[in-house]
Amino acid sequence: MFETGPILRALMRNKVGAILIALQIAVTMTIIVNSIFIIMERKELMARESGMDEANSFYIRSSGFAKDFNNQVTVQEDLAMIRGLPGVVDAIQVNAIPISGGGWSMGLQTKPGDDQDGVGVAVYMVDEHGTNTFDVDVIAGQDFNASDIIWRDGDRNDWPDQILITKAMAEDLYPDEDYRNAVGKTVYINRNEPIIIKGIIDKLQAPWIGWNGLERVMLVPQLMDFSAYRYLVRTEPGQRDIIMPKVEEMLASSNKGRIVRELRSMQETRDRSYRRHSAMINILTTVMVILTIVTALGIVGLASFSVNRRKKQIGTRRALGATQGAILRYFMLENFMISTVGVMVGAALTVGLNMWLMQAFELSRIDWYLIPVGMVVLWLVGQIAVLGPAKRAAAIPPAIATRNV
Amino acid sequence: MFQYYLKLALLSIKRNPILSGLMVTAIALGIGACMTTITVNYLMSADPIPQKSDKLFYVQLDSWDPNDPFDEPNEPPDQLTWTDATNLLKAKKATRQVMMAQSVGAVEPEQQDAKPYMASIRLTSKDFFGAFDTPFLYGGGWSDEADVNREFVTVISRETNDKLFGGQNSVGKTIRVLGNNFKVVGVLDNWVPVPRFYDLTTDQFAEPEEMFMPIMLKEELELPSSGNTNCWKRPDDGFKGFLNSECVNFQMWVELESEQQKQAYKDYIDNYVKEQKTLGRFARPLNNRLSDVNEWMENQEVVADDAQIMLWLSFMFLLVCLLNTIGLLLAKFTGKTGEISLRRAVGASRKDIFVQHLIETACIGLAGGIAGLGLAMLGLQGIKVLYGSFADRVSSLDFNLVIIALILALLSSIAAGLYPTWRACAIAPARALKDQ
Amino acid sequence: MLSMNNVKKIFRTDLVETHALNDFNLQVDEGEFVAVTGPSGSGKTTFLNIAGLLETFESGTYMLDGKDVSKLNDNQRSVLRNQKIGFIFQSFNLIPDLSLFDNVDVPLRYRGFNAAERKQRIEQSLEMVGLANRMKHLPSQLSGGQQQRVAIARALAGEPRFLLADEPTGNLDTKMAHSVMELLQEINQKGTTIVMVTHDATLAAQAARNIYVRDGRVSELHDVSAMPEAVNS
Repeated sequence: MFETGPILRALMRNKVGAILIALQIAVTMTIIVNSIFIIMERKELMARESGMDEANSFYIRSSGFAKDFNNQVTVQEDLAMIRGLPGVVDAIQVNAIPISGGGWSMGLQTKPGDDQDGVGVAVYMVDEHGTNTFDVDVIAGQDFNASDIIWRDGDRNDWPDQILITKAMAEDLYPDEDYRNAVGKTVYINRNEPIIIKGIIDKLQAPWIGWNGLERVMLVPQLMDFSAYRYLVRTEPGQRDIIMPKVEEMLASSNKGRIVRELRSMQETRDRSYRRHSAMINILTTVMVILTIVTALGIVGLASFSVNRRKKQIGTRRALGATQGAILRYFMLENFMISTVGVMVGAALTVGLNMWLMQAFELSRIDWYLIPVGMVVLWLVGQIAVLGPAKRAAAIPPAIATRNV
Repeated sequence: MFQYYLKLALLSIKRNPILSGLMVTAIALGIGACMTTITVNYLMSADPIPQKSDKLFYVQLDSWDPNDPFDEPNEPPDQLTWTDATNLLKAKKATRQVMMAQSVGAVEPEQQDAKPYMASIRLTSKDFFGAFDTPFLYGGGWSDEADVNREFVTVISRETNDKLFGGQNSVGKTIRVLGNNFKVVGVLDNWVPVPRFYDLTTDQFAEPEEMFMPIMLKEELELPSSGNTNCWKRPDDGFKGFLNSECVNFQMWVELESEQQKQAYKDYIDNYVKEQKTLGRFARPLNNRLSDVNEWMENQEVVADDAQIMLWLSFMFLLVCLLNTIGLLLAKFTGKTGEISLRRAVGASRKDIFVQHLIETACIGLAGGIAGLGLAMLGLQGIKVLYGSFADRVSSLDFNLVIIALILALLSSIAAGLYPTWRACAIAPARALKDQ
Repeated sequence: MLSMNNVKKIFRTDLVETHALNDFNLQVDEGEFVAVTGPSGSGKTTFLNIAGLLETFESGTYMLDGKDVSKLNDNQRSVLRNQKIGFIFQSFNLIPDLSLFDNVDVPLRYRGFNAAERKQRIEQSLEMVGLANRMKHLPSQLSGGQQQRVAIARALAGEPRFLLADEPTGNLDTKMAHSVMELLQEINQKGTTIVMVTHDATLAAQAARNIYVRDGRVSELHDVSAMPEAVNS
């Protein structure tokens, strides 16, 4: 039923066309599988959650410039005003915004001393409304209360005596222990300054999405007596877009000695921060689609040509007893055999390209199952592409065999 | 003869419109993809100041933590401390020395209805303008005295001049910024180096700042720091404490005319560090660097990995398109066996057949190249949409790129056409006739 | 063996209707060697295509080996062709990319024989046409006469009851033509029914019975010398 042998021997006499298609399939597979791998990696990056109520949060930057600008009073008035707005869940003054790209980091170490290794951690300065505004839960120990909060002067570098840290940070500080045991322990900032871990929060991301310590965060109970800072506001579901302009307007008009700017939703921040990745996903997807079409058209073109060239032969086969199905099968099988060589070479090239990308661009190793998936996809592309020409071949009337050109 | 071949080529292309269309499309797609990525890579890595990129050197001193390098493997910090930068600036050992830092400040326009706004500020020394060949619309940079005496002078961007002075010559006028009156000494003309090579430590494709003012005002007015500040040691309290700390937030460029001068400057900074070592600073082994503009761009990885990956993938894409074209050309030329053997029979030499088909291939390649340019423009539009503002400056085709595109199309199509053409030439004069 | 009654075949274009076969009647008995002759356009190729089940017809009946073929679909006709009919073409119609072995193998594969049987039959039939020692050769390495012998081997490998030859010597020189005709005679004597379509009167004369086709109808002539001159043109 399957004429593998004769097809193979006939192919060996017309190698070039077959090799061209096999190579096309191989390179296409290489690009497609590596692209899919990169896309999957990027999608995985983009799927990471910041831990915040992103859909309902936004922030705005306030910069005081007037000489007589009173920071402490302004911050207290601003916060009271924003928190009092109907539709606002909570709001804080904060030094940096998760996943926004800019922020502060410090190192914490479990033992004091210049020669001890530290664990990098992102710093968010918040008051007792911090956990509610970020929408994070204290899963061990205690949250800050109002009396914990102190003012931080822009010219001083003092740290308070207690902090909240994320579960991920606790686990990195004490890799051999349950994260709950971190509560009450003393860690050291600036090499030698002790701080007590008051509580553990479930999850919150740092400002830098490319950082390997993305989930290492500490909340510091400080209000900032700085001239520039941000307010982070969390609203009731669906209220964000109504409240955003209100807050901007209120802040701008409440004090002439400052400039408010950078009113931005968390959603926009996410889009900006991950833009590079979503762009790469879009580009690679386009490339894959176009490439598949090009390869399929190439197969259609060459197969059509080969059908035209073999018209007489097909008629003869029909005369000798080949059914239409047998002719169809012949071309499908021929394509399958060429594709098989293509996907075999493609599998090797795919691994090769991945290895090179790993070396040159620090990509990770490709998931093995993508290779068989890629092979099946390319086989299918080949079979679908050749179906049209094969059907036309099957429709060639047997009487063509007796026609003498 | 060429015209005759051209006519034959066009006839042949017309005879198989679908096959020819497929080939042109394949080449166009390949060229389009390649040109899009080549353009992005080319503009990202383009020499932003070709006339003197080998004379400007970025200074790095390894003032970092004795226990850990700033970056693996043993990279010195990418910026300098205030202490070191001001010391090098004052020493004046190079033809020009540019110290700089980023800051921001509130501008309070004079017009009643205009709201105050935050302007990006580059604090720098007077040599900035000469070292980087900045074009001036009005006026010029400030003097050495202005640097030393910490004068309230500023050079503003053309946009700022348009916004605050309606585009008039504003030299001599004052702007209220940072709570002080600054005198305008110069207005820059349009100046958007791509990448923004003079400061690669933050957004490498950002526009230059809106205002420029003397760096020593940082100390005078206790100006806030923008950009990256990295510390390995806790600074002392207060603004003075920060300036005297081991935190790095300042950049330094020097202009050096010759290899000897560069060597002399290298010796100078090495000696400077040795001297500082005696004061108890610079505990790490000597590791100072002078990188010219292109070296510094490479070090700071201006060309994004993604752009390079795309470049390689697009070359593979072109390869697929070319394999496709080879196959289709082979099909096409084989279909012309009868015609070719007839031509050979009536006296065409192999060379004639070769040239005839090569011209046909080149025509297809050229058409594909032109269509590919159109696709590349489309692709670049797509890049702009996908990447947003930063991509605006790395996604426009210039004349060089158009030429590259056409040459690439022509070369690749001819490369694709060689084998099918060679096969066509191998057809014996009478064989095809007999076979029929 | 073959029985056609009032077979009608019409080719239609927008403008004209051509009666390629018109009330065509023909009986061929088992074991006969029949030559069908006629001028160009007489309908002999149409007859050949219909007799070989390569084309369908409008009306009339055609019994092949006792089976009414007019109701068969494309697949059934393919199977019947494969089992009952051996084809010999004017231009041999060997598949250029396949060796002699694989060429003879083609109809046997469609027949569904197993590998061992196919091998035996291929070797046997190539033996019979005297080309067993060139099984691995390609058709292009053979002379025209040898190619036609391969085609005959291919036609006979499946042991069909009925051999349909279309100008079998049309592309051969006299000497080669002669040997091919001898081979056909030999096959006929072993019991295979042969219908040969030709316009060559001397060739037709070597058959036991001649059918003359004109304007899509049969006029049977047993006396070769009585054939009209036009046939020889």
